[in-house]
Amino acid sequence: MLVLLGQRNDPASARLDPDQPLTIGAVIALTGNANLYGQDQRLGLDLARRWFHAQGQARSVEPAPLLRLEDGASDEASAIAAFNLQINHGAIALIGPTLSQQAFAADPIAQRRGVPVLAPSNTAKGIPQIGPFISRVSAQSSVIAPLSVAEALRRDPAIQRVAVFYAQDDAYSTAETDIFQQALLRRGLTPVSIQRTQLADNDFQTPITAALRQRPQLVVISAQAVDGGNLIRQLRELGYRGQIVVGNGLNTPNIYPICQRFCDGILIAQAYSPELASPINQAFLTLFRRGQPDQSPSQITAQAWTAYQVLTEAIERLQRRNGFHQLTLAQARRALNNELLAGRYDTPLGPIRFRPDGEVVQGRFYVAQVQMQADGRRGRFTLVRDITLDQPQPATRRER
Amino acid sequence: MTDALVQNLLNGVASGGVYALVALGYTLIFSVLGVINFAQGALFSLGGYLTYLLMGGRIGVNGALPGVTLPVSLPFWLALPLAAALSGLAALVVERIAFAPLRRRRAEPLLSLITSLGAGVVLVNLLQILMGAEGYAFPASALASLPVSLAIGEARIRTLQVVLLIVCALAVLALTLWLDHSRSGRALRAVAEDATTARLLGINSDRMVRLAFWISGVLAGLGGGLIGVSVSLAGPYFGMTFGLKGLAVLVLGGLGSVPGAIAGGLLMGLVEAFVPSHLSGWRDAVAFAILLVVLLLRPDGLLGRRAVEKV
Repeated sequence: MLVLLGQRNDPASARLDPDQPLTIGAVIALTGNANLYGQDQRLGLDLARRWFHAQGQARSVEPAPLLRLEDGASDEASAIAAFNLQINHGAIALIGPTLSQQAFAADPIAQRRGVPVLAPSNTAKGIPQIGPFISRVSAQSSVIAPLSVAEALRRDPAIQRVAVFYAQDDAYSTAETDIFQQALLRRGLTPVSIQRTQLADNDFQTPITAALRQRPQLVVISAQAVDGGNLIRQLRELGYRGQIVVGNGLNTPNIYPICQRFCDGILIAQAYSPELASPINQAFLTLFRRGQPDQSPSQITAQAWTAYQVLTEAIERLQRRNGFHQLTLAQARRALNNELLAGRYDTPLGPIRFRPDGEVVQGRFYVAQVQMQADGRRGRFTLVRDITLDQPQPATRRER
Repeated sequence: MTDALVQNLLNGVASGGVYALVALGYTLIFSVLGVINFAQGALFSLGGYLTYLLMGGRIGVNGALPGVTLPVSLPFWLALPLAAALSGLAALVVERIAFAPLRRRRAEPLLSLITSLGAGVVLVNLLQILMGAEGYAFPASALASLPVSLAIGEARIRTLQVVLLIVCALAVLALTLWLDHSRSGRALRAVAEDATTARLLGINSDRMVRLAFWISGVLAGLGGGLIGVSVSLAGPYFGMTFGLKGLAVLVLGGLGSVPGAIAGGLLMGLVEAFVPSHLSGWRDAVAFAILLVVLLLRPDGLLGRRAVEKV
């Protein structure tokens, strides 16, 4: 009886109504400590929606998919609840959640129910491996993170003493610090100090002074924006003058008001550069700067745009081939998943495609340095190196 | 070795000063009413945000009034006491809403734990609606005339930590002197000792209760403003963390004991500072484990007095 009731209420078994637009569900952190990233993502999604709707109308491609936002907050339970809500509302695919830690909890739910999930910002190892319906546009940190360490060592090959800080209660930061530390070890550098912090920490005097006693020449940080920004500020205030390499959690202009003038000079590897001279990136920049003149979008905003673009273009290709005709929602979800993985996309991140396991294949990466203005409140990520990597080897094809 | 010892002592005393400030707020309320005001952490957050706004800080994009600033831009030394005084007024509102109705009905003290927790959650949520969830850093000009850090031998301390420690010490000293030597301070202590007898002696105990709430709000607001300028405001819930730590210090020092709150705060700060760096991520766990040990050995806290049942 319960099974029958469940089937009746599940929109997955209903046929698609050709007169109704499809819905893309987005689950992003609009509250909680990841809210800073969520706001950037909301902006990217909104800009992409406006751009692609205008493009669709110009080409008379109708009906354009709707975008339905849901707050996934910054914890696992909220992300799970938001995923369930979007799936039960009949979303054909999901964008999100914001944090890798949330993805490990919420993605298996979408996987079990056969709903494609395209992660815009999950860079931890193992996200696409959750299942065939899970893919991402955010290159994993094992590809990106070592680039900034390489840049720091290129600038100062004499570096021997490295201190590492990471937020031990954050899945992403702990995974990223492993990558950083492996990159250091490959270059023969064993950290002289490893300091474990927590996301809620705000006074870092004790771990910093313990690390500085080892006289590091390079500091490598894996943390989120608020705690990491505070850590950088206090490091500088306590007299550290060497290079600082930071991970993806600090890859947002939202760190500027936290570490202010002390943000200046930090090195970060990025999957996006505003300086990429492609038509789609110029369109993205133009739209962004209409709302925020003289500023540049963050990587997270660009990745959110890209996630929406990938899904919209895959849907459009299927619509052109009448690929949704007579399909149930469950069948349409599967068709869309196969279509999005098969496509190639020219995005603000540069050209991307997917491995069969859902991992993004992106060739261009960047190392940037934060440059703060004299007022200490505004800054920018200045491109210092544009890196083209060899394409990752395709994974073993698996059944979808 | 000596440098590391000095460094850890400095770190510990600086953190402990703030813990003591928060714990004193709890102590005042507990000594007068015998209850714990769980809204203390929210008042701590409020003090931080008010200081930020009074210094000309701008509301972020996620707040209800994005981009808005107050028509004033006060220097830190003026904004801090003003914000603390306003936090004291907010504490009076908490008293009126969460404590006074229950007191009039002579309700179980346990109920006020829940009502004050509710008042705190509402206050924090109001902050989130108005200011957004983002972190805020104080203007770079705040205390910009001071050097960023001071060296004591090989040890270094951030100047903001020194300022924080001095303000905490002055606040504690002023409170102690007021309690011991002023007429109203002695009246408050009389109410704390026995409200009925104090009333028979002509002391307006309701007024004293309100005064205790105002002072506890001022202390929380002062702590919030100091932490805000020292390490930024990490979102509306940042005060709750300090509130919990202050609560632990209250118990560690001895419920209702002013010297106990100070000693407990300093001990907590020092214990945290001396946690070995390879265990730094478990600093809170180590600190609370020591709290547990102290309470097993001295169930009434470091300087607490065993409660005598009045019959």
